[in-house]
Amino acid sequence: METVPRWWQAMTSSLAPSTVNHIRERVKQIETLPTIPAVFLPLLNLLNLPIDQVKLEEVVKLVSYDNTIAAQCLRMASSPLFGLARAPESIKSAVISLGLRKVETILLTCCMGNVFSVKDWTIDPTNYWRHSLGCAMVCRKFSEKLAASDGDKAYIAGLLHDIGFLVNCMTFSKEFAAAMEHASTQQVPLEEAELATMGFCHCDTGLALAQKWRLADDMLQAIAYHHHPERSHSAQPLVALVHLSDLLCRMRNLGYGYYERRRVDLAHDPAWAILANEYQALEQMDLARFSFELDEAVGEIAALVDIIFGTSHKE
Amino acid sequence: MAGMQIAGSLSSPPDGAAVIDPVYRQIRDLVYKVSGMYKSEEKLYLLVGGCERRMKQVGTKSPRGYWEHLTAHPSRDGELRQLLNELTIGETCFFRSQPQLDAVRKVILPELAADKTRQITRRIRIWSAGCSTGEETYTLAMNMLEESTALLKGWTVEILATDLNDRSIEAANTAIYGDYALRCTPEYFKRKYFSVVDDKKLQVRPEVKKLVSFSRLNFQDDSRMLFMKSMDLVFCCNVLIYFDGPSKSKVIDHFFTNLNYGGYFFLGTSESLLNLNDKFHLVHFPGAIAHWKPSLGGGKP
Repeated sequence: METVPRWWQAMTSSLAPSTVNHIRERVKQIETLPTIPAVFLPLLNLLNLPIDQVKLEEVVKLVSYDNTIAAQCLRMASSPLFGLARAPESIKSAVISLGLRKVETILLTCCMGNVFSVKDWTIDPTNYWRHSLGCAMVCRKFSEKLAASDGDKAYIAGLLHDIGFLVNCMTFSKEFAAAMEHASTQQVPLEEAELATMGFCHCDTGLALAQKWRLADDMLQAIAYHHHPERSHSAQPLVALVHLSDLLCRMRNLGYGYYERRRVDLAHDPAWAILANEYQALEQMDLARFSFELDEAVGEIAALVDIIFGTSHKE
Repeated sequence: MAGMQIAGSLSSPPDGAAVIDPVYRQIRDLVYKVSGMYKSEEKLYLLVGGCERRMKQVGTKSPRGYWEHLTAHPSRDGELRQLLNELTIGETCFFRSQPQLDAVRKVILPELAADKTRQITRRIRIWSAGCSTGEETYTLAMNMLEESTALLKGWTVEILATDLNDRSIEAANTAIYGDYALRCTPEYFKRKYFSVVDDKKLQVRPEVKKLVSFSRLNFQDDSRMLFMKSMDLVFCCNVLIYFDGPSKSKVIDHFFTNLNYGGYFFLGTSESLLNLNDKFHLVHFPGAIAHWKPSLGGGKP
């Protein structure tokens, strides 16, 4: 019992003692989660550095450890979503055409597909990756519309926000299967179904993994609070951005593969107010057009998922 | 390569459509700015086709030349209207937007049925505004009939359908349709709500027609617009695209007044209000967008 981390106690303080005990037992299993691939964390750290301190050679060297990732990266760079007409010949030329930051995010995306060797996908892996990649794209695009400085960080936050579902698949697979079943038969949001059937949700398990990986605080916040940005302790605008992008994806055919019987009023969501407070440009945003533009990307995102994640989830 | 395949299966653009003259994207943005109708990247070939047909008519060969016609030529307003006509040809059919119907049946009707104040009157009023030849109107009526034995048991459903064009209304009243109009209609609905006229045509059954009344209405006629009261749902698809900013704004204000508190206004699937009205809340349902008139008190219904 002493080994239960403090964050876990804080997280579960609102739950009944018997539930907490049950979860505590399972927490031990989180310790057996896969370690993050060698390239991922250094890359993430590079993303946090000011751009003038990042050396192109470092990125190229990192990627050269893993040919698969480098190859996937080049294919992804040539997708219309990233704007290159044909695949660059090397990571170096990709950086020249797209810029270092964009290439870093592409590399991180490719890494993600190779992190998890989930054997029993409770959730449809294609839906999962489409949603994560879609949310990443929307986060970046949303940032651009707001003229926010860090679209790349937003991209990564979008990519990682639902990582708890993967933890659920690996450590709570039976319970999570029941939650999925509940969500799709009742047509309710997945997080609601998790709380109703398991008593905790992917935000909690995702946080556990993110802490184990020692991700930066803003990523922890996005993972833990993307359903309730108003509760986050820091990085609220980023968390709010992920929250809205997540909802938008789920309303525009990039959800979890079932009908969510709900109405979403983005501009009157507390997250919208948080963003409006930070970015004046939000007031001028044409939300309808933004949604139509997202539709355009759906086919492309599906294609990218096949390129990047196709092999890993067929295992 | 996979990208091309998937894009192809989504929209079936003609061969060689991969390279599109950037001017067409300029035209797309102009069309959106003026009309609110958005042709997404995967439907851009439809816009290209429409422009090419118009280019033949006006006798210009290059997209750039046509751009001049749309922006600098004295007849630019008329030309834009002609282009909009081209872009909406053949769009009308039964079951055009399943996500809109899902939003109505799965989210909105349960909301209305649970509303205690509405339980006294037990009445739902729908306005199909700019109903053309009746496909959208009858689609709504059939879907309401489907709910009449479940969610709407004991409720009265009234569907008012209006159009500016007398001939359209006549056709809507006759209610005989061919394959093209029925191309998206599920077999179940064809069998249940249509009778066979001949091997090519079906007619809407009387029990569906009973729910609907058609009449002629001009949206610019303010006094008659005020008369369309107490609506729960308003559908107005591909009509407002033809209105200029001020008239559009006025019509939208009318729709807002015509709706009950908590009511919904639907446009075409890729049509936007262009932020012309800040009283409506833009709300999302899976795959569909609507404009919601907030309940009294402003919160959730």
